[in-house]
Amino acid sequence: MSSIGQNAPGKTVLLMGNEAIARGALEAGVKVCAAYPGNPSSEIIGTLAKVAGKMGLHVEWSVNEKVALEVVAAASFAGLRGLCAMKQNGLNVASDFLLNLNLTGCRGGLVLVVADDPAGVSSSNEEDSRIYAKLGDLPLLEPAHFQEAKEMAKSAFEISEQLGLPVLIRSVTRVSHARGNVCLNELPQSSPKPKFDNSLRFHSLPAVMNHKLLHEKLNRAEGMAEKSPFNFYRGPEKPELMVITCGSGWMYSLEAMTNMNAQDRVGILKLGTTWPLPEDFVLKHLKKADRILFIEEVDPFLENNVKEIYAQSCFILGLKSFFGKASKHVPDVGDLNPEIVTHAIQNLIQIPYEPRPADYARRAREAAAELLPARALGFCAGCPHRATYWAVKIALALDGRDGFVLGDIGCYSLGMGPSGFGQMKTLHAMGSGTGLACGFGQLHQFGLEQPVVAVCGDSTFYHAAMPALVNAYYNGSNFLLLLLDNSATAMTGFQPHPGTGETATGSEAPVIDLKAICEVFGAHVEVVDPFDVMATVKTILRLLQDVKGVKVLILKRECALVSAKHQRRLYRVEVDRERCLGETCGCNRLCTRIFKCPGLMWDKATGKARIDEAICTGCGVCSEICPASAIRKEKD
Amino acid sequence: METGEKINRGLKALEEKVLDRNLCTACGACLSLCPYLRSWKGRVVKLDDCNLEEGRCFAYCPRTEVDLDEIYQTVFGKNYEEIDVGPARKIMMARAKNPIWRKKAQTGGVVSSLVDFALREKIIRAGILTPRDGDLLPYGQIIRGRKGILSAAGSSYVSGPTLEALNRGAWKGQERIGIVGLPCQVLALARMKTSKLEKKTPIDQVNLVIGLFCTWALDYKPFMAFLQDRVDGRSIKKLNITPPPERIFEVLAGNKLYRISVDGIRPFIRPSCRVCLDMTAELSDLSIGTVEGKEGWNTVIVRTAMGENLLKRAKRAGVIETRPLSKNNLNHLKEASLLKKRRVLDALNEKGGIEKAYFTLSPQLIKRILSESGESLT
Repeated sequence: MSSIGQNAPGKTVLLMGNEAIARGALEAGVKVCAAYPGNPSSEIIGTLAKVAGKMGLHVEWSVNEKVALEVVAAASFAGLRGLCAMKQNGLNVASDFLLNLNLTGCRGGLVLVVADDPAGVSSSNEEDSRIYAKLGDLPLLEPAHFQEAKEMAKSAFEISEQLGLPVLIRSVTRVSHARGNVCLNELPQSSPKPKFDNSLRFHSLPAVMNHKLLHEKLNRAEGMAEKSPFNFYRGPEKPELMVITCGSGWMYSLEAMTNMNAQDRVGILKLGTTWPLPEDFVLKHLKKADRILFIEEVDPFLENNVKEIYAQSCFILGLKSFFGKASKHVPDVGDLNPEIVTHAIQNLIQIPYEPRPADYARRAREAAAELLPARALGFCAGCPHRATYWAVKIALALDGRDGFVLGDIGCYSLGMGPSGFGQMKTLHAMGSGTGLACGFGQLHQFGLEQPVVAVCGDSTFYHAAMPALVNAYYNGSNFLLLLLDNSATAMTGFQPHPGTGETATGSEAPVIDLKAICEVFGAHVEVVDPFDVMATVKTILRLLQDVKGVKVLILKRECALVSAKHQRRLYRVEVDRERCLGETCGCNRLCTRIFKCPGLMWDKATGKARIDEAICTGCGVCSEICPASAIRKEKD
Repeated sequence: METGEKINRGLKALEEKVLDRNLCTACGACLSLCPYLRSWKGRVVKLDDCNLEEGRCFAYCPRTEVDLDEIYQTVFGKNYEEIDVGPARKIMMARAKNPIWRKKAQTGGVVSSLVDFALREKIIRAGILTPRDGDLLPYGQIIRGRKGILSAAGSSYVSGPTLEALNRGAWKGQERIGIVGLPCQVLALARMKTSKLEKKTPIDQVNLVIGLFCTWALDYKPFMAFLQDRVDGRSIKKLNITPPPERIFEVLAGNKLYRISVDGIRPFIRPSCRVCLDMTAELSDLSIGTVEGKEGWNTVIVRTAMGENLLKRAKRAGVIETRPLSKNNLNHLKEASLLKKRRVLDALNEKGGIEKAYFTLSPQLIKRILSESGESLT
């Protein structure tokens, strides 16, 4: 249980980066918090939801990021402090509102935390959200460690109120998801009363005038950044090389420097207010070194902006060499680590140091192979999505017209790999599968003969697919939407959504019925249990072949991980070794070679399949697919 | 022992050599044997890759490499050398005496009445026939009585995966099985019998094979789409081709009779039928077809002792009556059968040579077929 709610000033607690941000918001007296879940940001609002009752907050999982930001902006307009959190993709969704909110400004402190996912570990891209700060003329802070995450969150509310502008905080996975010591400060006791001041106007128009006002606010922000404690220099007065860094790059640089024992030769300029940059502060420190290396996650944001500042004053500063992503000293894709930073520094100054033995990677692989069962990235044991894709695979093959599946964002995105039998052929943004289906479904008039199928999860449907479905019916498209209703936002940690009958804080909520929505939108709707594989195959085939227009098939089956929490497994499953055909003609390891549920294991010694009791959830789907009826299920 | 890379004789080869080339007959021999093949509306579909080097799917298929001499040796004790209508002990005309069979049957009701007789006499305990579902899609069905036989009588001119029922059936120990099949299906049955692979199928329990004459079968999906277009949304009840010289394809839909030229449906003939050597279902105990110019009668070719015995008993029991087949009819039958072989050889020659065919024939035999078949009728 998180300790973010305790009022224990001076106490040091172990917090995840996201919890530290949440704590900072609490110390700032936040009242309204909203988000759409998305890794690596989900724990910020998730943690606040747990203390909402006790602390008297409104915390909600909004239907999407734009709505979340609007909810929080309303609180700000009424004078309360509000926190909104999202992942980098989410900011694209919210950006339409954000790029008008900057013009209208706000009242109560409004902080928007965007957690980026360098390397796209749990994302469809690795976009760098910082560009939005520059685009929208908004102040941006980047925490480098856990204590700072908390302090910055708190400070961001102050800045926001002083400027009347939303403030962005950009975190990254390695800050949001790592844990470290955080010293707590006091929690505020007073509680302001919200009031919308009718004398105020929150109009983005006239745009030019408001744009001018925004620039003035940004100038003030720069002045505040000049004095910010989040910017500092550590190192010798005349370093051979100066590293300019922000966010997680600070810790990596520090670690590299300490390991190489290079503190006397290399200095680090650590910036926390990365937009607008404190120009004087940067120029002052640029004077220290002639060779400068930029260390930052994803895009050369800091790198380019510092170079801009330098360009304005180069006649004073003289010639300098800049290294980083542009010079290829630092990779411009993927995430960073101390080893990359070490190599970048070693490329620029001679320091003998080997970050790790040359054969380390090989030995690590060998050790892992010995200790861990070989499992590909894929669906969990008993995941209904595996059964769904199995049925889709069969149905499309039998249909014989080369139908294809348009993908969407969620656990089921894994349908692009072996776990989903390679069925999913596109992957873009939330709701894009249905949107693309709208388009493909118009191409039959030009001779497209292939059936069009889209997949979409329940949470994603509420988030972004609903407008696409309205569009489909209105414009007379022709496709089948498979609505994978597992009653959870599973990918991000089982947050409730409008279909689950529960709110973020655990109170009861009305269920927004998927079937009813789709019917109202004009679709032909049917519901099937994906665990009934053959019924699913037949239904998909029938819908593809016999029903024209917009079809929605709701595949209703709770996420296996959610089920495991509240119900016993459905079946006890075992393999009859006498019947198992193993690798011989008639089976050839269908269950472990193709179906590949992690609950099934191939016993090389006996040449038979077996059940991994530890992870089998007892869904019983494998007993349906076994050609020899060797996998038996019994009611548990 | 082969050296170098092993030649695949499994699903991979079946896919390359049969499925991808559209040579599948939809006989059903490969179905219900493994999870990788399934049939849907007249098509056999591969669902996943199987990496076995050898498989029953390939071994039983009537369109994979086959040594006809070896097969005919096993079934008849002689090589593939009787090139007109295959090994024949007797050829005659016959018809069922009981009108219930004749009424429902496509012609003389001999097939239905013989299966019924074999079941009643316990010569077989189950029959595998090919009824059609409400959409005229044929499927293999295990039948044990008269009702089942009647439901399977007639034809939709579409081939169906009859043999799937043999592979699927939960057969008791020594239950004897009779099967009525098309030429491709009786070839597949003979291949099952002669295969050296571990069988895991009840093929050894099959003791009666009745073959049906067949010149071609239609591809279900495009054919049905074609018909649906022509019957004004009425539900199709019966299909029939009128005897020559008229040869009109009759479709009874709703209560309206539509008449379509046979040439109109030729585009839907399965490509696999164009490489089939066998019009008279040679690898069976009895082969049964129509008699030209004699409506209500069947031609019967008796090929084995089993077939001869069954026919004799059925006749003695008054189930069927027989008559000699006229010389004219016999000659016509032989000509037609030879012509089918001839056309296959002509077609293969055009498409890159007989040596690439799935069957092997000696040069002498090829020469004989070409010389004895006379002019090709177009």
